[in-house]
Amino acid sequence: MSTSLDYTRQEMMAIATGRELRDDDLAIFGVGLSMLAGYFAQACHAPNIRTMTEGGVYGATPVGGLPWGIECNRISSNATSFTNAIDALGFLVASGRCDVGIIGAAQVDKFGNVNTTGIWDGDGTVGDTYRLPKTRLTGAGGANDIACGAGRVIIMVTHEAKRFADKVSYISSPGYLDGGNARERHGFVGGGPSAIVTTLGIMRPDPQTKEFVLDAWYPFSSIEEIRANTGWDLKVSSNAHVVPEPTAEELAALRRVDETGMLRKK
Amino acid sequence: MLDQPINTNRIKQMSRNKILSLAEAVKRYSWDGMQYASGAALPVGSDAVVFGRELLRQQRRNLHALFHCNTQQLNLLAAAGAVDKAECGFSGLEVFGFANGLRRAVESGQLALEDYSNLSFNLRLLAGAMNWPFAPATVNIGSDIQWRSAFAPDEQPAKHKIPTVTDPFSGREVGALSPLQPDVAAIHVSLADPLGNAIMLGTEWSRFELSRAAKKVVLIADAIVDTACMRQFPNLVRIPDIIVEAVVYWPLAAWPQSSPGFYDVDEAHMKAMNKALASAEGTAEYIKRYVEGYSDIDSYLDMIGRDTVEQLSQTETAFLLDPFRQWIKTPDEIAALSAGENP
Repeated sequence: MSTSLDYTRQEMMAIATGRELRDDDLAIFGVGLSMLAGYFAQACHAPNIRTMTEGGVYGATPVGGLPWGIECNRISSNATSFTNAIDALGFLVASGRCDVGIIGAAQVDKFGNVNTTGIWDGDGTVGDTYRLPKTRLTGAGGANDIACGAGRVIIMVTHEAKRFADKVSYISSPGYLDGGNARERHGFVGGGPSAIVTTLGIMRPDPQTKEFVLDAWYPFSSIEEIRANTGWDLKVSSNAHVVPEPTAEELAALRRVDETGMLRKK
Repeated sequence: MLDQPINTNRIKQMSRNKILSLAEAVKRYSWDGMQYASGAALPVGSDAVVFGRELLRQQRRNLHALFHCNTQQLNLLAAAGAVDKAECGFSGLEVFGFANGLRRAVESGQLALEDYSNLSFNLRLLAGAMNWPFAPATVNIGSDIQWRSAFAPDEQPAKHKIPTVTDPFSGREVGALSPLQPDVAAIHVSLADPLGNAIMLGTEWSRFELSRAAKKVVLIADAIVDTACMRQFPNLVRIPDIIVEAVVYWPLAAWPQSSPGFYDVDEAHMKAMNKALASAEGTAEYIKRYVEGYSDIDSYLDMIGRDTVEQLSQTETAFLLDPFRQWIKTPDEIAALSAGENP
């Protein structure tokens, strides 16, 4: 393995996310960088992966760079089937048929709950009444549906302290809620988040408590850096290890998908 | 093979030519305070954005917007202060970022935005179309989408947004989603015939369910085709004429968003528009230039810029339109239809 490869933290995150995907998965990708990670896996180690977007766009691969949206012409020029939202998010995700989904997050907490709805000032909580957010974000979109229904969910997020909260202000998409077997109360068909993959490392849930612990760091990051950028007292797995850096083949595959260099910007 | 025009003629006489001008359609099918639904794909794709521009030209106010996903149309209407309440599954602009006009209206308290998800919003349309009392939800439950209501901010947990009900078969607790039956839906389609049959290229998103849930449906089509086209591809006609009130012809109706087969997203305008909508001053300037800046289709295309129109039309998806091209009517043919049969 070469140590002289030049890659960005964002590219490492996308490749580490892509490595979570298997060749026999039925997979759904959210908009943006998670799409690049997903289609990277297809271009690299999972050529038989079955992919879809929540609009019901099947059999397609992006052309011309990162699609501006999951319905953008960059993902609509080589599809084998166009259907609709009820089909993709309902028949194939809510039903329990979808193996894996990749979603993003503005804020994520130690139980893998995701906030993409808003940021509140003061103590950061919404309060007893539904206060106006200081900063309104995009809302849940299809991520809530994927978080409830997909067999496993990978949360892909830039690692900054402000994004990693002990408790998110607003649960837009459920992880393990308040931990343990809380998901069972709601009968979710999906298994919950299996990994939080960041620009600094990978966290996985403790099998019992479902609290996310540090599983791996990257060649360019460290346990100390990750703990310093995490808003809860992050535990470190006894098996914690360094993630192998991208291979030349992986980087080449990722850059074929990321034609416009979205992941090269930082 | 269907080669007997006599059948076609007979059926045509039984149906009504529904082509209307955009201004007339907005005049007849919109009013202050109505529940207004956008028939769109998502924030980057199909949407009758030009219908929203006309709502502003006719100074519609106090709208209750039902947008499965935010689009530049809702972003503009919210920025202009024309919307009091909105319900959405997704309220951003995908890779173009946050919707500045909508977020400004939400953060100032001018607009109450009720959050759902992309599946639950669609299930509410399905419930409305079926006239069900509610749709059972296995999503949104257990999250703040269920517990928090912008329409009833003092309730925590919210009592009437997604109340918990018991599945009578399993005893399991599920959420109850309220049905949506919008007063009017302006649905963007790729191709429509003068009677109101429509074909959508690309994902139809929730336009199928919406077309049945809405009390009135107005189509905004990038192109008008002869009904013979619909008879050639009846499986693709997901919106039939019998549920449609009016058909508006407007090329690049979704601009600056995209329409598969016709044109790509106008990246520069998507960004410039969203930047403008971030402030009241920018919004006023945007409205002056891009809402009041045209008087008909020709001047609308001039406003976009003929070079830009040409460039956006060079889309990788153009081949999707090939099977239908022979039936596309020219602007003159459409004008003749509009003049001939409208009351």
